[in-house]
Amino acid sequence: MNKPMMAVAALFFFWALPGSAAAMTVDEIVDRANLASYYAGDDGRSEVRMTITDAQGRERQRQFVILRHNLEEGGRQMYYVYFQRPADVRRMVFMVHKYLEQDDDRWLYLPDLDLVRRIAAADKRSSFAGSHFLYEDVSGRTPADDNHELVEETDEHYVLEATPLDVDLVEFSRYLIWIDKEHFLPVKAEYFDRNDDQYRVVEALEIEDVDGFPTVIQSRVRDLEGGGETVMSFSNVSYNIGLDESLFTERYLRRPPREVRR
Amino acid sequence: MAGHQWILPALNRPRLTITLLVLTTLALAAMLPRVTVDTNPENMLAADEPVRLFHDRVKEEFTLHDMVVLGIVNEEHPDGVFNPETLSRVLEISRFAQDLSDPDNPDHQVVSRYVIAPDVVDSIEQAGPGQIRFEWLMRTAPTTREEALAVRDRALDNPMLNGTMVSGDGQALALYLPLSTKDYAHQVRRALLEKIEDFGPVPEEFHITGLPVAEETFGVEMFVQMAISAPLAMLAIFLLMLFFFRQLRMIIAPMIVAMLTVISTMGLLIGTGQTVHIMSSMIPIFLMPIAVVDSIHILSDFFDHYQQRRNRIQTLKEVMDKLFTPMFYTSITSAAGFASLALTPIPPVRVFGIFVAIGIILAWLITILLIPAYIMLMKEEQLENFGQEPTPEGGGDGGGRKPLLGRHLFWLGDFTYRHAKLIAGGSALALVVAGLGISQIQVNDNPMKWFTEKHPIREADRVLNRHFAGTYEAYLVLESTEAEPEPADLATELWESLWDDYAHPDRVPCDINLDPPEWWTLEARYEAENLAKEVADPDEFFRRLEDKWEERLFAAEDDASYDFWIDALDRLGEMQGRDEIFRQPEVLDWLIELEEHLVGADTVGKTNSVTTLVRKVYQELLGGAPEDYRLPASSAGVSQTLMAFQNSHRPDDLWHLLTPDYRKANVWVQLKDGDNMVMERTLADLEEFLAANPPPRELRHDWAGSTYINVVWQEKMVYGMLMAFMGSFIVVFLMMTLLFRSPLWGLLAMIPMTVTVAFIYGLIGIVGKDYDMPVAVLSSLTLGLAVDFSIHFLQRSRQAYQRAGSWAAARREVFAEPARAISRNAIVVAVGFLPLLAAPLMPYKTVGFFLAAIMAVSGLATMYMLPAAIRLLEPRLFRNFR
Repeated sequence: MNKPMMAVAALFFFWALPGSAAAMTVDEIVDRANLASYYAGDDGRSEVRMTITDAQGRERQRQFVILRHNLEEGGRQMYYVYFQRPADVRRMVFMVHKYLEQDDDRWLYLPDLDLVRRIAAADKRSSFAGSHFLYEDVSGRTPADDNHELVEETDEHYVLEATPLDVDLVEFSRYLIWIDKEHFLPVKAEYFDRNDDQYRVVEALEIEDVDGFPTVIQSRVRDLEGGGETVMSFSNVSYNIGLDESLFTERYLRRPPREVRR
Repeated sequence: MAGHQWILPALNRPRLTITLLVLTTLALAAMLPRVTVDTNPENMLAADEPVRLFHDRVKEEFTLHDMVVLGIVNEEHPDGVFNPETLSRVLEISRFAQDLSDPDNPDHQVVSRYVIAPDVVDSIEQAGPGQIRFEWLMRTAPTTREEALAVRDRALDNPMLNGTMVSGDGQALALYLPLSTKDYAHQVRRALLEKIEDFGPVPEEFHITGLPVAEETFGVEMFVQMAISAPLAMLAIFLLMLFFFRQLRMIIAPMIVAMLTVISTMGLLIGTGQTVHIMSSMIPIFLMPIAVVDSIHILSDFFDHYQQRRNRIQTLKEVMDKLFTPMFYTSITSAAGFASLALTPIPPVRVFGIFVAIGIILAWLITILLIPAYIMLMKEEQLENFGQEPTPEGGGDGGGRKPLLGRHLFWLGDFTYRHAKLIAGGSALALVVAGLGISQIQVNDNPMKWFTEKHPIREADRVLNRHFAGTYEAYLVLESTEAEPEPADLATELWESLWDDYAHPDRVPCDINLDPPEWWTLEARYEAENLAKEVADPDEFFRRLEDKWEERLFAAEDDASYDFWIDALDRLGEMQGRDEIFRQPEVLDWLIELEEHLVGADTVGKTNSVTTLVRKVYQELLGGAPEDYRLPASSAGVSQTLMAFQNSHRPDDLWHLLTPDYRKANVWVQLKDGDNMVMERTLADLEEFLAANPPPRELRHDWAGSTYINVVWQEKMVYGMLMAFMGSFIVVFLMMTLLFRSPLWGLLAMIPMTVTVAFIYGLIGIVGKDYDMPVAVLSSLTLGLAVDFSIHFLQRSRQAYQRAGSWAAARREVFAEPARAISRNAIVVAVGFLPLLAAPLMPYKTVGFFLAAIMAVSGLATMYMLPAAIRLLEPRLFRNFR
């Protein structure tokens, strides 16, 4: 208990000092949240166990390793997702080069077919590996794609409402996002459909400090409409491990870098 | 027998009797508003019927829903529906449909996530060299012709959509709207029709179909029919009786009997918590003729004798003494005939049979109490000119047709006496022809055909099935039945295969000097065998061994070691996947053949299964060339292809076709025709294929889906009805034997209804009318009505014979009043039900027509065959009478 508390205290101290949080503009809050969620450290590695539970209670497991490398703070990034489980998809790899101003580049490596395929990704709101998470939940939604408005401020959270600039690209009409005032990690997001019915909730269930970075250790998406949920549990999280940019190239799709292995 | 004792309360306390009867009826009528209508044909089977349980499990396991199909057709425009204007309306109505829900009932909604419509399905396509794209097919309405045609081409290019969502000719689109519950279908249809109305005049046509729509719409219209047909039939009966008896006051009584009977019975049905099903909605129509028949017998007799006695109490007592036994017997035999339906395995038919039986007994009770009480309440002077026309000898002084009927009956008495052998011969011939007809009967039903040809639902059905691969769905579910392997065997197999590939040929595992790969193999063996001793469940064995070997993999010192453990894990994975038969290419190959076989016969328009999906995704992964539309070579290839698919917008669509353990697959079979015969042929086609092509792995197959369910209950119904009919035939025969105290007389009493049943079903066979639900029930109705005529005819013949001493003399009496009562009954009921022919729902038409035919034929059979038979068998029949 102590360690995270200390970290929280330290963070609070660090961030609370420069100025009153209440005075922050909405854009600042959004930027902070974006950085806290997706840009911690220069790079990072995490092992992920994903449990997909459908409406009937049937569970499916996915296990993979994520490598992330930031090219610029809040900007370009690279992701490497190496599948370990289930056995029949072992060594499958998704690789993403994320951009702000243009569509991401995405690759898919299918080991059994020994096939590397680029995936056009104009639309990032498709399922991540059959789970209830979407690509955008994993690699981050570009803040500039939405209008943000601060709708509520509590002792612990900023509550922002985001409405998409281009409604045709997304399936939601708006979402509410709760951002923790201490570490700026979004702890909850509620999505609303065309009829303004809430249909989807993304939550951070457990947050821990790792190497000084508040880190989501467990997160969950619930499908309110169809039932079912996906829980992602992160373990062996590490930051600033010195991942080289060259790992995130087609060359390493067929033969994963050592960093994947540990 | 002193039958009149039964009616003494009615004679002494007529007012009280009527009041009590009416009050009881009103009490039961209070139940009527609680009615719940059930038109779900699935309920023709008991809720715990295995096929229904399976059907429900399949629906749950594969998240399948009953669907409303909305078709948009444009046969005028050169690009069909794929022009920007039409597509914008398609998009509008699609969004409208997805949002449909019943604010009053949260269980009623369109399950939007599983809607199949151009704006919510994914398209997988090439996006430049080496690049594929998952994209919504038509997120926004196209604005140019090129864009519209591009949507068409992308949709046509997807075998999952071609023939299902988009018609091959590009003229039509179909939206599939899954419903949370089937009973929402009618409301969805109405909402869509309103929306379509709002579009005003547009070049494209909209059609709404699907079994749930047919079933639910039928339910609503059935209710309307109940309110129209039954009173209409009543009116017709009323008018005919007025024509025969010319006494308004008198014929009101049978009408009251009929109404009290129908209201009480329905009140009792609803009050005891039964739902009103298609079957039970016909109870009023069945009860009405039966309820009227007894009253007509009493009135007819009273009518004929009152003028002689001029004393209503005395006349009534005499009439009841004479009629009580035949009326009692006709009622309990009819009731027994319907009650026999309780033996069928079909709950709604059981309810129908039991409540018609109850209704018949009620009708009898009400008749013998109410009719005398009613007559007692009339003023003496109103009876003054009562029943003047007919006299026992058939002449009469009333005008119009009555002398004609009398004269004809008189002639008939002679004719049957003189030409008995001719009649017997003719009857035998008719039976042979009927037998031929019966052999031609085809058993078939289709809820869609409960509507008349011109009904918009039928129209939609025709148009959409012309454009698409079929709007009727059946599900073929295949399930692995292989036994689970033993972990110990798995461990042995694993390490031995590694040893074979990594060890030197002459090396044995206990050698001291081992090369690294051999050493790794022994490490793998050690872990596998130890684990196999601990766990019995193969899944757990796989999972834990995977963990152990993965640790080895991550701890690998060098590339060789890494490669070894990757290989070992691959072998483990492959072994783990062996159970998952629906990602084994050999099984999928076989499944493709199976589907091709089904589609090859012309009953199936298309099948959708995991084979289609895998081949389509694999094709696009490989570059989209037509020749790449095939299966990957390995099971891991299949899994990875499916994993690629699951990065789309609708990954869960996969689970309509597979269970996540890959051990069950669902083949969505699209049929162009909802006829049970078509489904049955498909079942036979499958068996034929399986006999010639056994599956490569052990698996079982089962069917589900509404179209299939209909076949199952139909089979039960045909067989059940036959059994029920035979059972009641025997019961009625025994009762007749008891009544007449002679098996020969009993047999004689069976003649009219046997001939009628033979005639009705022979006719159905000859004209090619499908043997469907209403037709099946007619057999018991025949039993109920025809036996009434024979009992009256025979009972009165015996009484007449006793008086006259010979059939030659007795027949004159029989062909007077009794024959007239029978003829009146036959004509009143037969004509009375002809208004049903005007009903817009086929089952009502069918019942109307056949009810009329049954009355006519059984009436004729009674009047011709019974006297002829009596003539021929006279010495034997009346042996004990002298």
